[in-house]
Amino acid sequence: MHSFNLQLLYFLILITFLSGAIVSLILSKNNRLGNIISNILYSIASLTGIITSIYFLLSDKTRIILLHINSNIPFLSFKLEMGKLSAYFILTLSILTLCVSIYSISYLSQYYGKRNTGGFNFLLGIFIVSLILVFSSGNMIVFLLAWEIMSLSSYFLVIFESELPATQKAGTIYLVMTHIATAFLTIAFLTIYAYSGSFDIANAAALIPTTVKNIIFICLVLGFGTKAGIIPLHIWLPYAHPAAPSNVSALMSGIMIKTSVFGLIQFVFVVLGGGYDWWGITLVILGSVSAVLGVAYAFMEIDIKRLLAYSSIENTGIILIGIGLSVYGYSRGNSILSSLALIAALIHLLNHSLFKGALFLGAGSVYYSTHSKNMEKLGGLIKKMPYTALFFLIACLSISSMPFFNGFISEWFTLQALFQSIGVSPQGFKLIAILAAAALALSGALAAACFVKTFGISFLGLPRSTEAQNSKEAPATMLIGSGILTLLCVVLGLFPKIALTLLNKLSYSVVHNSVVPDLKGFSSFVYYPIGLETNKISPMFILVAAIVLVGIVFCLFKLIGRGSKQRTYSTWDCGFRELNPRMQYSATGFSKPLRIIFRAIYRPSRELQTEEGTSPYYPKSMKYVVLTQSVFEKYLYIPLTHLFTSFSKKVRSSVQTGSVHTYLLYIFIAIIAMLIYYRFS
Amino acid sequence: MNKIAYIVVQLIIMLLIAPLVSGIIKKVKALSQKRKGPPVFQLYRDIYKLIKKDTVVSKTASWIFSVTPYINFVTALIAGLLVPVSLKLTPLNFGGDVIFIIYILALGRFFMTLSGVDTGSTFGGMGSSREMALSSLIEPTLLVSVFTVGLISKSLSVHNMMETLSSIGTNIFQPVYIMCFLALFIVILVETARIPVDDPATHLELTMVHEAMLLEYSGKNLALMEYGAALKQLVLITLLVNLFVPLDSLITFNNAFLALGVSILLYIAKVAIAAVFIAIAEINTVKLRLFSVPNLAAISFILSFLGFVQYFIVGGIHG
Repeated sequence: MHSFNLQLLYFLILITFLSGAIVSLILSKNNRLGNIISNILYSIASLTGIITSIYFLLSDKTRIILLHINSNIPFLSFKLEMGKLSAYFILTLSILTLCVSIYSISYLSQYYGKRNTGGFNFLLGIFIVSLILVFSSGNMIVFLLAWEIMSLSSYFLVIFESELPATQKAGTIYLVMTHIATAFLTIAFLTIYAYSGSFDIANAAALIPTTVKNIIFICLVLGFGTKAGIIPLHIWLPYAHPAAPSNVSALMSGIMIKTSVFGLIQFVFVVLGGGYDWWGITLVILGSVSAVLGVAYAFMEIDIKRLLAYSSIENTGIILIGIGLSVYGYSRGNSILSSLALIAALIHLLNHSLFKGALFLGAGSVYYSTHSKNMEKLGGLIKKMPYTALFFLIACLSISSMPFFNGFISEWFTLQALFQSIGVSPQGFKLIAILAAAALALSGALAAACFVKTFGISFLGLPRSTEAQNSKEAPATMLIGSGILTLLCVVLGLFPKIALTLLNKLSYSVVHNSVVPDLKGFSSFVYYPIGLETNKISPMFILVAAIVLVGIVFCLFKLIGRGSKQRTYSTWDCGFRELNPRMQYSATGFSKPLRIIFRAIYRPSRELQTEEGTSPYYPKSMKYVVLTQSVFEKYLYIPLTHLFTSFSKKVRSSVQTGSVHTYLLYIFIAIIAMLIYYRFS
Repeated sequence: MNKIAYIVVQLIIMLLIAPLVSGIIKKVKALSQKRKGPPVFQLYRDIYKLIKKDTVVSKTASWIFSVTPYINFVTALIAGLLVPVSLKLTPLNFGGDVIFIIYILALGRFFMTLSGVDTGSTFGGMGSSREMALSSLIEPTLLVSVFTVGLISKSLSVHNMMETLSSIGTNIFQPVYIMCFLALFIVILVETARIPVDDPATHLELTMVHEAMLLEYSGKNLALMEYGAALKQLVLITLLVNLFVPLDSLITFNNAFLALGVSILLYIAKVAIAAVFIAIAEINTVKLRLFSVPNLAAISFILSFLGFVQYFIVGGIHG
């Protein structure tokens, strides 16, 4: 009975999303009505999705088959099923789509009459449905089909503002990279099929020899890694995210790149049965490198959305460290470590969707009212957009893993997992784990620097342009959308047990153990997480203590300092007549110390152009540009592209000559070769 | 009951001693320069005076500027609660481990750097930018050294780490502890804005880091910021001396109160000596160029990393 209900609910969700998409297409003449109706339908579907997935995560069922169309041709069999892992990812997706659809009601209003919002919403609906299908795919055919629909629909969403050359470039890079990913995945899937004889996503570990498993793993890392944006496969991310409208960026960064984490867990743990320790070590190293370099590049950006895109690379890196440790622990039979690390990674995944979603939506609100994503043109927005600023600040605190916010919880768990792994592993891995911990500390500190810069330059100080000066608070629905996400950031930061409870049965189903029941003494105030007996944190208790202390200090100071007044006066302007926005530190200036310290990575260069006036000391105008190089593009991708194009040119001139006679010769040779092959095989 | 006693003792000691450390450092420096110097208790008077003074708030500033002093002060105080001054009291065992301490100090810094940008002054932005760069560089060292000590004591709780290290006796002279000690000492110099990283005594724009962020603060707010900085300094010194100079196991009085009293006195003596050492380090070095500080950070990271490698890879004499 229960499973029937769940099946019904699942298809209800899909149908509601699809009907939203179709309504939007039908009403595309009436932008406003179509937008409102489809987004309301999306919100309802998302709410149903949240309820369904939470219900399933807490239920005793491990997996249910939702749809099974079997045919004799394996390529035409379709299977949809829901496991614990699928439910968790659908939950993350649904929370995000709920907020994004509420947000979109107002956000898209800026495009009414200018662009085809009907088509946009249609694609958005298809995109969400394809994500759900990826998460609930029961065989590789459905997975690959849904994966392609997801990639293509998101491509069209990225190039929504298609007349801009930057957007076109972003779209092309995205399309190429995402298909490289699909190519590697196809190789991996076909290899699995070749050995197991089935396309089902089910344990095939016993049927596949070790060497082949390793090859499959490398293909999976390359395929999923490209989608996840791990360095050096990340280059599409910083182009695609800023080009897309903010609600799409929120979904792409919040959940789409996580499909690769889903795939990695599904295929490594379920299909390949856990793998070997070097798989885990590889993932930990890749994750650490991505975490540090991702945030290091983020810190240099002055475009908010490019910065957020790079920061997604960092967070994927942190998730990968967790997954890597989990694979490592599992392969060595340490199910406690494996479960702890998996939980760390999955909590971070949910947290990242929440705060990165909130940040992208916040950046969208800023764009909505100032039409700028460039921090150098913002400033002082906290006074014009107080709520947007508050939500953005909370999201910044969360992503910088500050205590009392959710980012800290997952960072803490990841560090605990690393700490545990050093204790139980052999010498060589200890070295990698401590360096990964150092990398995590460095990336955490750099993330804090990065988001102090983002919030400080964009929202504090004096406005740096008239647009920022005249900006207004975002409309209510946009505030509600990002508000829900930030509220969840705080709730999960103070009551981490909520996320842990959801993950308990999931952990059993993936790594056959769970550390969650070992958590002791849980109440809303005192909270003991696990790991080593004495490593405990209790955010709620500390928060209460902090509030009490602030109260005491405040009252005491009022008492001692009674009679003193507070007055408002302008900031010291160094004796110039008045403080002006250009005296402030700019975003470029803020990142200068680290740009110089890490010049080996950034390879900065600067250009100074002056137009001379009457005196050399008073030039008419000056232009100063600081450029940092993308090392990977320069030394990896551009040479590769050159190699590829020159190879293609050679092939065209020597092999594909265009002459019919040559082609006949090729056919003749092919037939001869085939005959010889069959004679001797 | 024990826990309340712990909180009270911890709060009182931390709040009372914190300004003294800065006083001692200033005094030693002055004496070395054949000056009389301000009295050791000058910071107490300064703070009291600042509380009674009027406060000026920049009109550019937002609410961030006004809440920062409280956040900065209370985060330092909370961190102080989690670093026991004496092992003779049962600690708060549900508060937070050493990772929490590192991150809650980072929370204070997050808001302090935001407030630097908030007023729209050039100096504030400059201070924030430099502070963030320097603290990012030193963070890995801090984590690797506490992880190393934590792995030896199989716990990340500061109290357990202190207990383990106080039970190993003369094994404290093993290379791993010496290296981690030196690494943490450099961390303290960087985190508390001392020479060779920052000069707390000057307000020269070329060199300012910490002071640049405080420029716009006055009155009560400034008092809180100064007090918060002193507290943070004490927290880090306490971590250093109570981990690496464990003397509490030597105190074996039957009377619990007497033992606690002696242990606290010993603690104060240790902190005072640490302050003298910091002063000596300041006297004997010059302020580094801002972009030479990464070298110092690299040295401290290598020290902590070598400590780890020495103990866990090469293998040490187990205590």
